[in-house]
Amino acid sequence: MRVVLLIALLVGALTWLSAPALAAAPLSVRVVNEPAHVETVLGGRFMITTEITNAGAAPSGEILAHLNIASIEGSVYVDPEDWSPNRSQQLSLQPGESQKLTWEIQAVNAGHFAAYVAVMPFGDKLAGEEALVISPLVAVDVATKSTLTAGGALPVVVTVPLLLGLAASGVFFRGHRRGSDR
Amino acid sequence: MTVQVAPPAVGAAQDLQAAGQRQSRWLVVAEQECRDLWTSGRGLILLFLFSVLLSGITYLTSTNQALNFLEQRESVNLVLQFAVAVGVLATLVVSADGISGERERGTLETLLVTPVPRRSIIGGKLVAALSLWFATFLVSIPYVWVLARGVGILGAALALGFCVGTLVAVGLGSIGLLISGASNSNKTSIAASLFLLLILFAPSQLPSGLPQGWFFEVLLRANPVASGLAYISSILVEGHGWTQDLALLITPLLTAIVAGGALLIAGPRLVRLTRGVNAG
Repeated sequence: MRVVLLIALLVGALTWLSAPALAAAPLSVRVVNEPAHVETVLGGRFMITTEITNAGAAPSGEILAHLNIASIEGSVYVDPEDWSPNRSQQLSLQPGESQKLTWEIQAVNAGHFAAYVAVMPFGDKLAGEEALVISPLVAVDVATKSTLTAGGALPVVVTVPLLLGLAASGVFFRGHRRGSDR
Repeated sequence: MTVQVAPPAVGAAQDLQAAGQRQSRWLVVAEQECRDLWTSGRGLILLFLFSVLLSGITYLTSTNQALNFLEQRESVNLVLQFAVAVGVLATLVVSADGISGERERGTLETLLVTPVPRRSIIGGKLVAALSLWFATFLVSIPYVWVLARGVGILGAALALGFCVGTLVAVGLGSIGLLISGASNSNKTSIAASLFLLLILFAPSQLPSGLPQGWFFEVLLRANPVASGLAYISSILVEGHGWTQDLALLITPLLTAIVAGGALLIAGPRLVRLTRGVNAG
């Protein structure tokens, strides 16, 4: 009898300990981005607003919204850190509650890109198989803006040394002539 | 003690005497030193060489097709750091020649007989050496403009370069004059100053991929040149605010205050004729 009681207590304790992981309900949040399409030039700054709504009947707990940017052309290397230094925001929502998050982004590459926000559970008690909730894509078209060209730099690159060279040789030869006169 | 000096430049000494009564005496020395630096062509030749180097860097940066928006900020940073480094180098070399050079050329005695306090001589020489930094900065403005106008950091880049560069130049110019006053020969003075500059620039040449622990941080913060340049990078490249990394300016500021103060206190004792120095 004592052994059965011990086993029952053990099973009960194990069940209680693993309860949060087993009971972790899938995230039932809705994620909407605005605007759906952005057109800008290289170096342009823009903002995306993401509305996250808890569509479930239970509180969401701590969740993390994470912005990502990908090139949809394949040839452009994208480092999302360059696009936005703050790409993660933490929040928690009550049932039916919604929250708007804003993402400040700077276009640092030219081309066609897609930005999206992934929402995931947050904390150190993740089982590792939780599903993500992904927002619809925001299409980002970045036009090239050639601010730095060889042609643009050429007048300065040539003129400054030329003027200084002329001035230096003028002063040098004037001093040399004076020296010869003496 | 045998001190051989060149025949005194009577005209120059009289000019100094007369002018010294009219204006601030250090200003007279500064004016004379600047005239010597700029009308002899030395300063202009240095500026010409500097502009050729800067043109090369700017052209290479402009023709780089792979340059993206963020890297353009890095090219502004590169040009600005180069301008500060060369400007400081030129200031240090000119100030390192300030007293020991006069001794070797045998012109220090002439200067010492003028009614100008030795502290004013030191002050005037420092201002003249700093004029080379200011000229270097002026020359770098068009290059910074070419690179920075598209990314909207022109004003910040110029203000940063001017403030940090002036701070570092005052500190190292003062150190150069201290070394010059303490050295018996001009070669020793210039070699010691260049060696010092080499040590100060060495940390900036370490590969950026190396793990940077507390030792690197201490090395960076203890070094007035490296920490000044790191402050410029933190604002221009990393986009930090002006006050965020202000601690990086402590060493350049302390160097300027301590070296400038030491120059002010010990300067009069350093401007003297020394044993065994021959006139040129």
